Parts: sequence; C-alpha cells; structure tokens
Amino acid sequence: MKTFLLYLLQRRELSIVCFMVIFVLFVGTVNDDFLQLNSMSLLLSASIILFIMAIGQSFVLITSNIDVSVGSTMGLSAAVCGTLLMQGVSTWIVFLTVIAVGATIGLLNGIGVSFLKIPAIIMTLGMLGMARGAMLLYTEGMWIDGIPNSYKQLARVELMTLPLPVWVALAILLISYLLLTKTKRGRYFYAVGDNAEGAKSVGLPVRRVTLIAFMISSVSASIAGLIFVMNIGFVPNTAGSGLELQVIAAAVLGGVSLTGGVGSVVGAALGAVFFTIINQSLVYLMIPAYWTNAISGLLLLIIVIADTKFQTFIRQRAKKRVPKPSPSLKQGVNSE
Amino acid sequence: MIATKLCKRLLIRLEGVRIVRDVLLEVENMHKAFSKHKVLKGVTLHIHHGETFALIGGNGAGKSTLMKIISGLENSDHGEIRMNQVPVTFSSPNEAHRHGVHLVPQEPLIFPNLTVEENITIGIQGHQKTLQKNVREVIKNVGWDFNLQQTAIELSIAEQQLVEVTRGLVRKAKLLILDEPTSTLTFHETRMLFETMKQLNTQGIGIIYITHRFSEIFKIAHTVAVLRDGKVSLKGPVRDFEYTDLLDALTAKQSMGLSNAPAQKTTPKNEDRILDVQNLSNESFHNISFSLSKGEVLGLAGIVGAGRTELAEALIGITSVKEGTIQFHKRKMNRLSVRKRMNEGMVYIPEDRHKNGIFSIQSVQSNLNAAQLHQLSRFLISKRKERLSGLHYIDKLKIKTEHALQRVQQLSGGNQQKVVLGKYLALSLKY
Repeated sequence: MKTFLLYLLQRRELSIVCFMVIFVLFVGTVNDDFLQLNSMSLLLSASIILFIMAIGQSFVLITSNIDVSVGSTMGLSAAVCGTLLMQGVSTWIVFLTVIAVGATIGLLNGIGVSFLKIPAIIMTLGMLGMARGAMLLYTEGMWIDGIPNSYKQLARVELMTLPLPVWVALAILLISYLLLTKTKRGRYFYAVGDNAEGAKSVGLPVRRVTLIAFMISSVSASIAGLIFVMNIGFVPNTAGSGLELQVIAAAVLGGVSLTGGVGSVVGAALGAVFFTIINQSLVYLMIPAYWTNAISGLLLLIIVIADTKFQTFIRQRAKKRVPKPSPSLKQGVNSE
Repeated sequence: MIATKLCKRLLIRLEGVRIVRDVLLEVENMHKAFSKHKVLKGVTLHIHHGETFALIGGNGAGKSTLMKIISGLENSDHGEIRMNQVPVTFSSPNEAHRHGVHLVPQEPLIFPNLTVEENITIGIQGHQKTLQKNVREVIKNVGWDFNLQQTAIELSIAEQQLVEVTRGLVRKAKLLILDEPTSTLTFHETRMLFETMKQLNTQGIGIIYITHRFSEIFKIAHTVAVLRDGKVSLKGPVRDFEYTDLLDALTAKQSMGLSNAPAQKTTPKNEDRILDVQNLSNESFHNISFSLSKGEVLGLAGIVGAGRTELAEALIGITSVKEGTIQFHKRKMNRLSVRKRMNEGMVYIPEDRHKNGIFSIQSVQSNLNAAQLHQLSRFLISKRKERLSGLHYIDKLKIKTEHALQRVQQLSGGNQQKVVLGKYLALSLKY
C-alpha cells in the first residue's frame, strides 16, 4: 500500500487525475448540478486559457526560471488583437501580429535572463509592469468592446463535438509533449534546469535554451490572449491581471518543480484543468468568488512545501540504498 | 637523452602497457593571468597516447586553471596547444570534446533527474538507437554494470564519476582529464577506477590524472609533473623519482610563507584535556568518543559520506546530536547555539569555502571581521578597529592581496583559504 502510494505520488499525472476525480465527486455530493455534462464542458472551455499558459510556463519552470509577466502579456495580446479586429484587419494578420508581440516580449525576457544575467523573477516582474503599461497606453485605458461577430464565431466552431479553442489547446499540448519528451532538444530543457553547470560542461547551448523557453512561455500567453478575445468577446483593461499566479500554481499543481528539471506539460495541463475545477466549484459550494486568489496562493504554497518535503524524502531513500563504505584504512593514504 | 627514452619505453613495456610512440597533447609555454595575478607562467607539458600523466601541485599552483584551458573552459593569454601535432584552440568545452579532450571534474556534474543513459548521451548529435548501442558497447568494453534507465539521483558518487568517464568515452575521447577522482571514492572503488584507467591506456587513451595522493602516483602513473607557482618544477617518468623528490618539488613554495618544520609530536598529558566527546550519535554517525588535549592535532580520516563533516558540524552545533555529550573546557556544550560555542572559543572552518567559508564579493577586510562583528561594536561598527584587525591578520597570515579592501573573489584559492582561517582566528580562540 505504501509503495503504491509512493508510485502514485511519483507519477504526478496519475495522482492528479485521482485527486481530480475525488474532488469532483465530493463537490457533486454537495451539489449535484456540478456533475451535469453541461457544466463539465463549460468547465473545460473555461480552463483553456490557463491550460495553454501553464504549458508555456512549464518550459520556463523546467529550465529553473520563472515567468511572472505572462498575465500582462496575455492582456496586451488581447488588447492588440481586439483593436486590430476593430480596425478591420484580416484575422490571419491579427494572429501573426499578436504572436509576434508575444515572441518579442519573450525574446526580451530571454535576453535579459540569459545574456544580461538578470534574475528571472526581476526581469519578468519588470516586464509585467511594462506590458501592462503598454496595454493601458495602447488602449488609453478603455475597454475594447464590439469585436466582430465573425471572430467570436470561431470559438463556436465545433469539430467532433469539441470547440475550436479546445482543439488548439490539445494541439499545443501534443506538440509540446512531443518536443519535450521525444526530441533531443527537449531533453536540453530538463538538463539546463537540472544542472546548468553540468549542461555547460557537456557543451549544451544553455543560454539559447533559456531564451527559447521564455519565448515559448510568452507566445503561449499571446495565443491565450487570442482565445480570450474569441471566448469573451470584449477586452477589459484588467484582462489577465493576476493571472500569472494562477498559471504558476496550475503548473506546480501538475508536478512541475519550481527548482527546475522536473515536470511534464501533460501534468501542467492537467493541473490547469484541476485548478479551474477548484475555482468553478466555489460557486457550487456557495463560496464567494473573491476567494479565488487566496485559494490560488494557498494552493501554490501548500504544494511547494509538500513537494520539497517529498523530494528530500526521496533523496534520503536513494542515499540509504547506497552500500555503506568499508572503513578499511589498511592501504593508507599519503596526503601532500 | 635517447638512453633515458629507451629506458622509459622498456619500463613501460615491462609493465605490460602498450604505448603508442606518438605524442597526443602538447601544451607549449602556456601563460595566463587574472587581472594582475599571474597564475600560469609558461607551462610546457607533453602527453603521449596510452599514458597516464600525473599532475600535482598545491593550492593556487595553477592546476585547475591549466586544466580549464585544456578543456576549453578558459582561454589562455599566450601559449599553444597541439593535439596530434596539429595546433588547436578550444573556446568552449564542445570544441574540446570534438578534438577528443574530456574533463571529468572533481565533483561529478550529473543531471539528477535524467536517466543514466540521457546523462551520458546528452548533447551528442546522432540517432538515439545508435547512441544507445554505442553506450552499451563502451560500458561492456570497460566491464561496468549500469542500469541505463534508472535516474541518476540514485547513483553513488563513484557511479556518477563512471558516468562522467563514460560520457567522455562515448564521445570518442582520446584524452581524459581526471580531476582528483579518488577524493570521493572508497578504497575498493579507487582500485576499480585504476583497473579502468589501465584498460583505457591499453586502448591508447591518454589520461591526465590530478591528485593530492602521492601513493597513487606510484601505483598508476607513467609520468609525473609538479606544478608550483605557475611553473613546472619537476617533470619526468615516475620511475625516476622517489616520494621525497615530489615532496621537495611541491613544497619549496611554502618557504615564502609559514615554516615547513614538521609538527612537534609530544604526547599530550591527560590533565590538558580541553575537548571531551562521549558516545556522540545522530543519523550520520554512531557512538563517537574521543578527547583532544592542549596543543594536539587530531586527524579525522574517512571517505566522502563517512560522516566526518557531519561530526564536525555537530561539534560546533550546526546540526543536533541525538545522544552523547560534548564537553569543552569542562563545560557541556550540547545545548549551546553555534554563536555561543564560538564565543566559548570553538570554531569550525568548513571544507567548501565557496559555499560556507567566504563572502566572495566582499572585501578581504570585511571577511576577516565577519565572525567577530559583535566584538567590534556595541551598536555601530568601529571603522578603526575593523581596519586594524583586518591589517593585523593580513600581515600575520601573509595573505597576498593588493589592499585590505580587495574583493576576496580576486584572490587565489590558497589566499582565500587564509582569509577563512583568519576570520576564525580573529575570534580569540581558547586553548
């Protein structure tokens, strides 16, 4: 039983699914409306933005950095998307421009962290302010309303009963999963986060890998921004503010370690879904929605503390397995 | 000249080691300085195929700098490296790997969360299947037993080192640099490593073997070179030298500093006892008892992981003890904090000065005063006292620094160690 529990805890994707099922059943017993198919599919749609951004964030976390600018990046992307659509720019060009905005922010973050050696938290915190400021300057603090219907309709296009944004999210998940686990370059992300010094000594392009991780994170936030406009249909000037906390919490909930080198995008995506379930369930549990932020923060701290304890436990177990060295001193050692 | 060469070959033949006559690596007149401090002052070394070349030298003699240059981690100011008689320059470890030079660092740089196989093959271009086959072949050739799919976190230090060596071999290394590999190994593991080295020699692989242990040189190396103060002070076939030759070549340096006289060995009297440890136990060690007398130096031997550091940390109070007593000057210390124990006159100088010993971007003076700050001041620190105390220890320990306010980072390793020592000496110790 104990080994089974250990196994479960080490396979984070499995354990999170178990927890999720238990949690859903629990909320269901309190309020059976929650178990309706309807609210379930609503829930999946609601998790899409977090889902995509948690995948992007995982790349940065795996390389042992952190990106707290993603909330603002998402907001700025949504604002750019909204304004361009209002000006009647064609959808494809909007897509490309918005993704370019994200790529630029990621590039700046990456250059700051890997070439100018600014700690990731500081670099991205600065970027958080700058992107938020840029958004407010760009929109002059106004809400963007009246997005063309043709664009909003995209969110309702269904393929095999799933809406388009869900397909986009799944495609991103699949691509990142394959990139991280099946390619050599994917391994580099883990290696850099696991032991940067070691990565350098075996000749890995540490700085380039870090830079790419930041770009992936920011681009994921931009894609989330595009979907945000599609789903919501307007852009408030607070779009995406505070979202970074939820994104990081979701990734960590899904087993991506803040110390780097550990985690999978599948876990991060599941974490995002679970996180959304927790938030949505508040309504069904009659808890005011104001609790969302407090719960995100608390959850993040609990998981990080539990994870650290668990990691030290695993390390100690690994150490114990090493046979004790024999204390023979017969041969003698001559030091200088 | 020719006679000695022939002699050497003959001797090596007798050892049963095939030596290819060609020279593998030539380091010619290598110079390197950090700011004003000259670390290498014209080093010339030749290493042949299938040869184990021992390199020794004290702290700050320039060993690690030289190895960093050879393995592409550092650029030289002046000098030439030739691989197989072709001049090369390595601006990155990658380039050194491509030319067949591979450094196995003292502390293995392992990716704990990746599998053993990923640890070995990471960064190599090529198809995964062929790489895997390659790894298996290499491991079989040297006769090791690895589970390639386990995560590296579960490996012992010795195994991690073998992973590092395998990394080099899979990359078709012609020259392996082993930086003090045995400092972390048990005797059994050391023997295994030597077997491996001999085997690699027969395959024509040259090995630069850095060590502090003379006995190992006579056991394993064909050639030896001693570095002192950035220069080669002795070089030649191991057979030509004796233990004392190496010692002389190594330690003439110390004449500039402290006297080289052997420690006076007097049998300590019982009543001079200052430290008494009785049945000390915790998770890392069990039932330790010993006593220390005035003027006595007590050596504590053991390999990495045997619990030496843990014992020292328990004595000073960084970690707690489960059972047993520590008595210092007849006073029981078990419940005192580190700070109180230091005030009682007991200090601990940690082994890893980078992690625990120095504040590297602070000045020499600040470092020297760091431990006795509470003695320098009631509320504000007295500038004058701080400066006087700093200068006193710089002078007393002959710390080579440009001025008292130079960053400790810029000092050589040996001088950094002196700063660490001075920091604790400044706390008036009790004897």
